[in-house]
Amino acid sequence: MTANLSVVRDAPARAAIEVADLSHTYAGREGPVPALTDISMTVGAGRFVVIVGPSGCGKTSLLMMMAGLRHQTAGTIHIQGAPIDAPDPHRVGVVFQEASLFPWLSALDNIEFPLALRHAPREERRARANDMLNLVGLQGFGARYPHELSGGMKQRVSIARGLVQDPPVLLMDEPFAALDEQTRMTMGHELLRIWSQTAKTVVFVTHSLTEAVYLADEVLVMSARPGRIIDRIAVPLPRPRTYEMMATDVFGRLRERIWQQIRKEG
Amino acid sequence: MTRLQLIAIRLALLALVLGAWEVLPRNGLIDPLLLPPLGDVLKTLVELLGRPQVHEAIAVTAAEVIVAFIIAVPLGAAIGVAIAESDYLGQIFKPLLFYVFSVPKSIFLPMFILIMGIGFQQKVAYAAFSTLFVVIMSATAAVESVKADHVLVARSYGATRMQILTRVYVPSMMPILLETLRISMIFNFTGVMIAEMYASRTGIGHLISNWGENFQLPQLFAGVILLAAVAITFNETVRTLEHRVSAWRT
Repeated sequence: MTANLSVVRDAPARAAIEVADLSHTYAGREGPVPALTDISMTVGAGRFVVIVGPSGCGKTSLLMMMAGLRHQTAGTIHIQGAPIDAPDPHRVGVVFQEASLFPWLSALDNIEFPLALRHAPREERRARANDMLNLVGLQGFGARYPHELSGGMKQRVSIARGLVQDPPVLLMDEPFAALDEQTRMTMGHELLRIWSQTAKTVVFVTHSLTEAVYLADEVLVMSARPGRIIDRIAVPLPRPRTYEMMATDVFGRLRERIWQQIRKEG
Repeated sequence: MTRLQLIAIRLALLALVLGAWEVLPRNGLIDPLLLPPLGDVLKTLVELLGRPQVHEAIAVTAAEVIVAFIIAVPLGAAIGVAIAESDYLGQIFKPLLFYVFSVPKSIFLPMFILIMGIGFQQKVAYAAFSTLFVVIMSATAAVESVKADHVLVARSYGATRMQILTRVYVPSMMPILLETLRISMIFNFTGVMIAEMYASRTGIGHLISNWGENFQLPQLFAGVILLAAVAITFNETVRTLEHRVSAWRT
């Protein structure tokens, strides 16, 4: 069913995402306020990178800049080898926090939205959106409206919408923050399944350290404002990840190390 | 309570009121000079609807209502959107509009008569004026009901400004816009009626006011029934549409 979705890309020589010397300053009431300083990071194609950091550290801003939705004051961002300065749905799909679905569209129409914007033929849109609906495990729910879906189902629709144009990069801004703990774990697990089937490069922002370690190949820890990357932690846990891994020493030590970094910043 | 029961109770209540309207005056429990029996009123209504003079009055009033509506709604919507979209305009005009909104518009009616006389123009101008502010307020609320997150999502998928307008703004605003249409018609209709009843040579409002002054109560009540029927029909039609486009707002 989903075989046609996992596009096999020739392993690119360069990274999917390259951020170099990025800084951002915004105009506050009492002069310029530095929000991000000297951010440099590289995300290899097909990797799953999680960014964690204290509230207000600018991690969402950083993600919005990678999506071309905001402009940094200094530094460069390359996605798939080319600079990004405006949204490009062919390179980047974005999954936002809760309630970003259009409530006046059905689940299927929400997923089709990006295709409708570029006037894709109706049958192609439908077929593609249905494939996505199956991929995220929502067969039979296409006609439902967002208010008829649970929080977890809504985020599945959001993920399907993010993937519908088959962009190589998926940016996710605290997508599961509004879900209860149990649903959140299930969704994390589902996301890993979808990721392994589609071979996307994922950058995922979260507050949850458990979620970070569970999902990531690599966790980037950001400082309090102005945000810098203060630690890069490789997660050596094997894939596919299982819930049992959370009880292991390795998992606990990684989580503890991130927590210590963030606590110093708080 | 089921929906059917609810409808049955409402119909029973309506029948009770209409029945009392018919029976009580006939039995002399209510002075039939002050409240003529419903049957007499309906007979008068049918007779009135056959008179050319009444046809003319209906045509004049309808024209006034429609022209005033066509002026007030787009103008008010444009001003409302401009105020909601521009911080600069909003900061200047919002408080002023709130002040004017709170003032009863009917106190300005004598000024309209002084400036424009008591003809068609004056009716239209006054009705449009009394409708404009509620349209501005509602249009502002409609724009403010558009969620920044939804605009961001559309932008992230490469939507153009035009696509953001048609695919995010319009559907977000549609329920409130239809509600605005409905409410502004109530204000608009009221404006025309007040202007016609206050000083006029023609129109349904003028006839109603005359019938009242001449103690012609069957005619007066026939006029009330006619206007109520028109107003309710318009209101309910738009409300049905409203329900259809705002099913998602729950």
